[in-house]
Amino acid sequence: MSSREDILQSIRRNTRVRYEKPDLSGLEHEALTYEDKLSKFCEILKQVGGQAVILKDKENVNDMIKAAYPEAKRIASTIKEIKTGNTIQPITCSTFHPDDVENSGDLDGTDVAIVDGRIGVCENGAVWLTQDVEQRAVYFISEALVIILDRNNLVNNMHEAYKQIDTGEYGYGVFISGPSKTADIEQALVMGAHGARSVTVILI
Amino acid sequence: MSTKHSKAAGKFLENKGLAAWHDETLWMVRAKRDKVSKEVPEWEHLRDMASAIKMYSNSHLEQLLMEFEKNALANGAHVYWAKDADEYCSIVYNILKGHQVKHFIKSKSMLAEECGLNEFLENKGIEVVESDLGERILQLMHKRPSHIVLPAIHVKKEEIGELFVREMGTEPGNNDQTYLTHAARKNLRRKFIEAEAAMTGANFAVASTGECVVCTNEGNADMGTSQPKLQITAFGMEKIVPDRDALGVFTRLLARSGTGQPITTYTSHYRKPRKGGELHIIIVDNGRSRILADQEHVKTLNCLRCGACMNTCPVYRRSGGYSYTYFIPGPIGINLGMLKAPLHYYDNVSACSLCYSCQNVCPAKVNLADQIYHWRQQLHTLGVASSSKKLMSGGMKFLMSRPALFNFALKNAPIVNSLPRGMIYNDLNDWGKEREIPEFAKESFNEMWKKNKVK
Ligand code: SF4
Repeated sequence: MSSREDILQSIRRNTRVRYEKPDLSGLEHEALTYEDKLSKFCEILKQVGGQAVILKDKENVNDMIKAAYPEAKRIASTIKEIKTGNTIQPITCSTFHPDDVENSGDLDGTDVAIVDGRIGVCENGAVWLTQDVEQRAVYFISEALVIILDRNNLVNNMHEAYKQIDTGEYGYGVFISGPSKTADIEQALVMGAHGARSVTVILI
Repeated sequence: MSTKHSKAAGKFLENKGLAAWHDETLWMVRAKRDKVSKEVPEWEHLRDMASAIKMYSNSHLEQLLMEFEKNALANGAHVYWAKDADEYCSIVYNILKGHQVKHFIKSKSMLAEECGLNEFLENKGIEVVESDLGERILQLMHKRPSHIVLPAIHVKKEEIGELFVREMGTEPGNNDQTYLTHAARKNLRRKFIEAEAAMTGANFAVASTGECVVCTNEGNADMGTSQPKLQITAFGMEKIVPDRDALGVFTRLLARSGTGQPITTYTSHYRKPRKGGELHIIIVDNGRSRILADQEHVKTLNCLRCGACMNTCPVYRRSGGYSYTYFIPGPIGINLGMLKAPLHYYDNVSACSLCYSCQNVCPAKVNLADQIYHWRQQLHTLGVASSSKKLMSGGMKFLMSRPALFNFALKNAPIVNSLPRGMIYNDLNDWGKEREIPEFAKESFNEMWKKNKVK
């Protein structure tokens, strides 16, 4: 008999009381919501070490990115343009597309990656990214991450977020809440363990 | 003082500075957990639902694992089933051998620890690199983790500084945490890029989508799996959850309970292999299906491995992870060790003051202290009851049967509250060594009753 069969048989033999699947709707109803989602999101993102900036009317997103990361030389972008109201702003500050590289390791040394955020979660400052380029490494390997997020796509909590996410064609997605961090040396918090050292979410 | 735990705890306490730091630091983590959990008004409801989802999932494992398998195969993954540690290690090895892998990068996995994967692979000539910073430090030191979430909590930065001078060429004497962390970042970048395969555990496996979810703060699981195109993900079968709605509950609890963060930095959902790559998923039993039949202890399978029960445990904080003989320490480790091999791991059962703090913080409502109590009742049957614990209860009986003495003891107990810690936990106080001294009420019930305060 295969191990699969052995294991399934052992599960059948040993399972005793069968519990019902709980109904989560009560909890989901009761869960935290915020009157001012935008300011809550910004506040929590700051707490987890990131920064949120709101793109104002007529403000150019490229200027904003260059001001935030003036030293950046290698800038990858997975998006060509952003739409704010009825205007379209092309991303001009980027220097390459992540799929232009041959090997994922070639992305090492990327200073900034500009990526598309789908949903922002107010209770924890996390942003859902759906993989939309072949080189998934771009979300992690660059020194700084700039996430563009539509301010209308903020949800209160994870229950709401999980009703909306999708892993897309590439079958991968991730919630990112602020920069990569560790406290493994004497519990001192250090940003930039392996992933981005700095995360800026630009709300459009 | 007779068990292996109390002897090892005594040794840990010899380094007074480290021991005090360990205790205070973990208590700080516990306090952070309290703070963030209070910011969520529906916290208790969340815990109830987390427990209920686990009770459902673990009593429908056959159905959910088969659903997971079907979906994972449809996503293009390979799925394997491993009955025990040996089979799990062999499956990993065969995948690596089939792809001529020489460099293998891993993110933290308690399952790999449980099954001795690293030793197994290294004996076969495969270089295994741990990528979680704490795990990497311990790997280079040839030591084991002493905590499931904060693996290097017992190591001082000076030791790490010296280690990095040798291993990563850092400046001698520079023990700054930021400097050392960034040196490791640079050093491990090369390892990520040169690896031919990457492995992760899974915090959750979702039946309805066939995806595995991994939670990290460092981003190491993602750095690994986005470099080489060969990914292996293995999980113990109790990690299965029915659907993404369940993730909504668990992701709200996990980091808040473990480290006091509102969520881990990365919550990654691996559903398909990368283009031109392969995704291999291993479902592991290794004794879990046997626990299903044990009504007294089945709730250990609810565990999310968040570490909260360690952070809060007065014995763990004061004795350190190495004082336990099972590889998982603290309240959950006491129970898992007993389920694995009671005659081997019974020493740990004494490492508990039955204060019930663990049971009160556990996000998945594992009845940790009830279970430890239950094991203690069985020690006689196992023929291994500890003589020091018998003496303890003998001492209680002595007081209880002499009301005058008992009243005197109780009246003077509040003094203990205001004593400096050094006096309470001095070397003469063996009881304090093993237990958190309870806060004594300022007035005893007897006094209040006499003063008519109690109606
Ligand atoms: S038993 Fe509960 S508190 Fe302890 S590690 Fe598991 S989930 Fe966390």
